[in-house]
Amino acid sequence: MSLGKWLSFGVGLLIALLVTAIFLYHQRIGWPGEDSIEEVLLTAIALGVVVGLAHWAVLGHLDSDFRCLMTHIKTIGRTELRPWPTVQGSKYSSTIGCRHGILKPIRDAVEVCVESLRRRVIELLTQRRELELQLHASNVQGRHAEAILNSITDAVVVTDAFNEVVMANLAAARLMGFNLDRAAHRSIGRVITDQKLVKLIKDASETGDPSLRRHVEHPINRNGQTRIFDVILASMIQGPGNYGIADLQASKGFSPIRSTGASRRTMQPTGIVTILRDITKEKKIADMKSDFVSKVSHELRTPLSSIKAYMEMLIDGEANDEQIRIDFYNIIRNEANRLARLIDNILNISRIESGVVKVQRDNISLPSLIKEVMDVMQPQARAGQVMLIEDQMPLYFNVWADKDMIYQATLNLVDNAVKYTLPGGRVEVSVDVDGHAKIANVSICDTGVGLPAADLPYIFDKFYRVKTHNKMAKGSGLGLNLAKHLVETIHGGKVGVKSEVGKGSTFTFSLPIADNE
Amino acid sequence: MSLDKPLILVVDDETHILHVVSLKLQHAGFRVITAGDGEDALGLALKHEPMLVITDFQMPIMNGLELCRQLKLYKQTRETPCIMLTARGHNILDEDYEETNIASMMSKPFSPREVLAQVDALLNLANP
Repeated sequence: MSLGKWLSFGVGLLIALLVTAIFLYHQRIGWPGEDSIEEVLLTAIALGVVVGLAHWAVLGHLDSDFRCLMTHIKTIGRTELRPWPTVQGSKYSSTIGCRHGILKPIRDAVEVCVESLRRRVIELLTQRRELELQLHASNVQGRHAEAILNSITDAVVVTDAFNEVVMANLAAARLMGFNLDRAAHRSIGRVITDQKLVKLIKDASETGDPSLRRHVEHPINRNGQTRIFDVILASMIQGPGNYGIADLQASKGFSPIRSTGASRRTMQPTGIVTILRDITKEKKIADMKSDFVSKVSHELRTPLSSIKAYMEMLIDGEANDEQIRIDFYNIIRNEANRLARLIDNILNISRIESGVVKVQRDNISLPSLIKEVMDVMQPQARAGQVMLIEDQMPLYFNVWADKDMIYQATLNLVDNAVKYTLPGGRVEVSVDVDGHAKIANVSICDTGVGLPAADLPYIFDKFYRVKTHNKMAKGSGLGLNLAKHLVETIHGGKVGVKSEVGKGSTFTFSLPIADNE
Repeated sequence: MSLDKPLILVVDDETHILHVVSLKLQHAGFRVITAGDGEDALGLALKHEPMLVITDFQMPIMNGLELCRQLKLYKQTRETPCIMLTARGHNILDEDYEETNIASMMSKPFSPREVLAQVDALLNLANP
């Protein structure tokens, strides 16, 4: 019996005595009288005992019930809400035998509460684990994206609504000369020194237009070299559940990275993505193309002009005698031929450059091909009083090549040689074979006007004509270019030139020898 | 002076053009001198003081535009009108017009008839 129980017994007794005393007092039963006193005392004691016992029965049990519950709750606390193994209907080994009695409802309520808390904890632990995995995956994705961004050769810089750098790749750092690690969260104006570019970015950001996508051509000077860049400035947008970049081609004006279909109205620009692409080469090619077209039209117009003019003269009767008329007819015919040759040359060169030309290869004998060219050129050479000779040729070797093409190349070179050699000069054509390297070399050597060293690197370019030779002979400037394409592009050979002004020039081309020799 | 056949200078590096234009003008009653480049042309112009110069744009050594500029610098040729022939569709800028006496531009392929018509028009303006 514990102190609690004694106390409750004592309290019960006291209460009983007090009640009896008050009752007797109220009944006005006199105090003197030995029988009455004994009766009273006995009654009081009996009452007291009864009450005390009653108290003890209830509170005693209550006490043990309290104790059970306290132990129970402490156990729960100690085991930290972890799931317990169920043991024969009783969960708590330290509280086996506890019955809880009156306090059973409280115990049950506590257990329900604890059970729900426990479930919640497990839920939270699981969620935390999931978040950790997501964070990990997101980090991996982030690093992946960084790696991809850094492998892009175009410069990429992402700024937020306050024009601070959010992200940039290696290409951008290299191009604009800033330290990638130190650029984050710094104002764009302090990261890159190109103030025009900074202004472009700031202006784009200021528009607040979520579908903004601008293309600007911007030159950048780096190491003394100016390169042209195509700068794309696009709004980065973020709305509830959506984020992406403004894209003119996407149907709604956005290329969403993740979209839940929320309307455009909810999109806000959160920054600007700036991409710089080096288009210097592309521009150069575009310029060259437009230059080519311009030159071609000019070249074609010239003979056409003559034809038209002479025709008109004939029609208007300006050729008033037969000889003049015959002269005119010849001129028209020659100019028409010139135009036809020009067009052929241009088409051939174009075809070769775009790879659509039909090549018909055969075992051809270079010496006999060269002889053919010489025979055709002899009249022209004689007319210009130029001696045209061929050297001793090694016989019995072939090259695997397209006969018409090599014929054309050779013809162009010999034609040039004769054209630019003054009367009394000579043009010598020879072939030699390098058995070791399996190459045949053809040389066309003239004692003509020669080429200035400054012109040599460009001599095989389209329409290139040496200015000082303009009066000497007419040419379209395509003959050498075509020869070069025929030899190099089609046959994998090589053309070359050596020259000295006033002394002459030697043009060479080489072709691989056919394997079966 | 109006009894004398008027003199016209024709400049072009293409011999055919020179030939055609000269013939047309000669048949129409003009005297013609020719040059194959701007430098020669300037010399001839200063020496013979033609009434009109017809020149190509694209020429070696000195091009047509430069020739016209030069002509305006000299007293004898300051007022001489020029007709410019060009195959390249070159754009003549306003300042070029101010620095020269280019009266009209004709593009190639050109018509000898039209050249004659232009010449007539310009010379009639000068000497009505």
